Amino acid sequence: MSSTTPSILRRLWSSVEFKLILAWLAVVIATMVLDPGHTYWKNPRDSSELIIRQTVLLGFFALGSAVIIISGGIDLSSGSVIAMSATVFGSLLILLDPEGFNSGHLETWVVIVATIGTLLSGAMVGTLHAWLITCVGLPPFIATLATLVGLRSFSRGLTQAVNNNKSQIEFPDLVWRDHIKDVTSVSIVFVALALAVWFLMSRTVIGRHLHAMGGNEQAAKLSGIPTDRLKWLAYVLGAVAASMVGIVYFADTGAAKPDIQARGYELNAIAAAVIGGCSLQGGVGTILGTVLGCLFLRTVIDAVNKIVGTGADVYEGMIVGIVVVMAVTFSQRGVSSRIRPFFGTTIGWAAIPVLSLLAGLSFMLFFRDRPWFGAWHAVVFGIIVAGILLVRGIIEIRQKRAV
Amino acid sequence: MEPVISIRNIGKQFSAVRALDNVSFDVMPGELHAVMGENGAGKSTLMKILSGVISDFEGEFRLRNKPVEFSSTRDAENAGVSIIHQELNLVEQLSVAANIFLGRESRSWLGILNQLEMDDRAAALLAELDTNLFPHALVSTLRVGDQQLVEIAKALSLQAEILIMDEPTSALTESEVERLYRVIEKLRTKGVTILYISHKMEEVFRLADRITVLRDGQFVQTLDRKETTPRAIAHLMVGRDIAPRIKHTTARDSAVVLETKNLSLLWPGHSRGWRLQNVSLKLHRGEILGVAGLMGAGRTELLECLFGASELPPQGEILIDGQPTRFSHPSQAMKAGIAMVTEDRKRLGLFAHMTVRENITVCALGDVSSAGVISRTRETTAAISQVNSLSIKTDSPEAPITTLSGGNQQKCIIGRCMLTNPKVLLLDDPTRGVDIGAKAELYLLMEQLASDGMAIIVTSSELPELLTVSDRILVLSEGVLTGEFSRSEATEQKIMEAATKAQA
Repeated sequence: MSSTTPSILRRLWSSVEFKLILAWLAVVIATMVLDPGHTYWKNPRDSSELIIRQTVLLGFFALGSAVIIISGGIDLSSGSVIAMSATVFGSLLILLDPEGFNSGHLETWVVIVATIGTLLSGAMVGTLHAWLITCVGLPPFIATLATLVGLRSFSRGLTQAVNNNKSQIEFPDLVWRDHIKDVTSVSIVFVALALAVWFLMSRTVIGRHLHAMGGNEQAAKLSGIPTDRLKWLAYVLGAVAASMVGIVYFADTGAAKPDIQARGYELNAIAAAVIGGCSLQGGVGTILGTVLGCLFLRTVIDAVNKIVGTGADVYEGMIVGIVVVMAVTFSQRGVSSRIRPFFGTTIGWAAIPVLSLLAGLSFMLFFRDRPWFGAWHAVVFGIIVAGILLVRGIIEIRQKRAV
Repeated sequence: MEPVISIRNIGKQFSAVRALDNVSFDVMPGELHAVMGENGAGKSTLMKILSGVISDFEGEFRLRNKPVEFSSTRDAENAGVSIIHQELNLVEQLSVAANIFLGRESRSWLGILNQLEMDDRAAALLAELDTNLFPHALVSTLRVGDQQLVEIAKALSLQAEILIMDEPTSALTESEVERLYRVIEKLRTKGVTILYISHKMEEVFRLADRITVLRDGQFVQTLDRKETTPRAIAHLMVGRDIAPRIKHTTARDSAVVLETKNLSLLWPGHSRGWRLQNVSLKLHRGEILGVAGLMGAGRTELLECLFGASELPPQGEILIDGQPTRFSHPSQAMKAGIAMVTEDRKRLGLFAHMTVRENITVCALGDVSSAGVISRTRETTAAISQVNSLSIKTDSPEAPITTLSGGNQQKCIIGRCMLTNPKVLLLDDPTRGVDIGAKAELYLLMEQLASDGMAIIVTSSELPELLTVSDRILVLSEGVLTGEFSRSEATEQKIMEAATKAQA
């Protein structure tokens, strides 16, 4: 009966998760070798703590995004929900305990009530999304685009209203701040959440129904699956996860800054889910893959920062963009046996100068501070890239003729 | 005379299904060449290859003795080959003229659209077809028959020398069919070669010069129409006898399971105003009730109303075991013992990214789980029980559903329904895209279920099929019940008459 079922080894080999682990190891080793400061050798503890912290923070709301994506939707608002939650948390602290806020010593109950209130506000945002999508009938893209823009502006207004027209809320209590941002406890909460979501998605009826709905919503509805309620669940889960991150970020950065905090993070979460094997068409994806996707993405960002040495998050967006394109391109290639012509077409030829210019300029940006750097390095690098792409294009055309 | 099209050893594989295998025949210039075969015989696939819709296939075909390789319909159109699809390919939001010249718009200098010229040329083309359609009417406001004429006008505007028509009459009323025949005559006098796909004997014998029969993706024979008979063709199409029907005793006198009284479904924004109008019917235990009608007659809508899946809530009454019910969601209908196999398997039935097991158990997960956690062993047992009892051909319940043939996929969906223990089974065109052997199996299965006491409503786009399986046949025309025939009274002729009865 199982004659054509692939063996465990082959299944392991073809799984996104396994490939991600291999790719991750490759990045770590490459960083060890190429990093001029050799940080991974000299200070493994701090390096891994940094990566774990960043992975976990991304992981929280990437899990939410993954559930939403698997169920066939999309959530563009998580960055704004993070900012909003930080603001709501700060505002609740001020409103519940103004004296404690000013003196720098918060009561335990205040922190607990503020946490519950913040998570509740996340659940309310999720409910709002679900209502806009199921009852009003907006596409998820539009509904969450509205809250992406709207909630950030709402949070700025809220901050000004509760905090004497200031544009941010400082975290008042240093002891609590250390508790909340503590890597170990945040990681434990994350692992617990990830396990819970993994169990939900892979072992329960609800998880199966979410997969089914994401793959074919019409068929799911006709199979008697309560699609509207499932959507509510997915969007609430996504928003509550983002709220948790909001509280931790608040402690981590020491202030709720709704104008800039977590801006653009929603796309990082979507990117991590996609790198981890989730399909934006819905129905496909795993929680383990998403967690590994977060780890891989954060490690690559960290690696580039180490190797290039700028240390800033300037290039984070570029890296996310490149990694997403590469991850999806390679996972697509597994599907069809024929090699896709990347460059052997009119648009393909037109893309070669664009890519070469981009490569040359990136080279210059990355290494301009190095003592050995000269402008001709970047030019040569760009020309080499152009050459490689041209050769690939020519090979593609010759292959096409041969078929 | 040289053939205008030579088809040589053409084959096509869709994942697990061999749609075409080593097909070769010739089409002569100026002839009307009918291609016949049951659903799933490969007619449509072959036509998609000839018209450039499918560009990777085995074998070759030659146009006027030159090998050609179309990579898109555009290439085919430039070579003078146009296709009128069964499901029309028009942009409904655009006007008639805009559709005719889509992608080849006439432009003045600066590249600005020359609307006037297109309207004029469209009017001229439509006049050639003896129709009085307005070039600037929106396609969405036209009836199916008129939309088809727009497609034909488009083909004319391309100076098509070869026109492929894929079951052009399947959605037409009788008068529209007559008009189409006149248009076809006109095209023939202009010297257009026509490849005509159909499984309707009557029209093929009226129109065709030669007939090619395909069966299960293989070429059977090309015959001169004058030298053959409908019976001979039918024999070639089927190739083997469909398993004879085990006649179960019609349970006329037994209990009414499902009844509707004056069931209506509105259609806002449409000139007709309703999708269904005052449909009253009774379904008995152990009965197979066939619902016939042309495309758009309301067959699917009727089943959707009964299953709580219609977009708007229906008006009128639905009674199950004599109790009035009202479903606003399929889950309620399923709880009440109704199950439905949807018409468009790919779009409405299958979870293509899931396994056979997951597809079968998706409706019955509550029965194989405790506290919301699925028990894998119980789930697998349930799936295997259906795989065995419906004899679904699969390597394992863990195989991806897409590796199964159409017929076996359909059985998985029926198995999915069976796991919910329904009293009433709604089957919407269940044999669509299923090969002929599997069809016979599905008929037997329906028969068996009915004799076990299940009440079944089945629709089909093929009348012979309905005549084979049904105890009783209801006919819908434009949403209104226009006929009811018992098994002994029903003939294709009578049903077609009722189905094309125009509504005031």
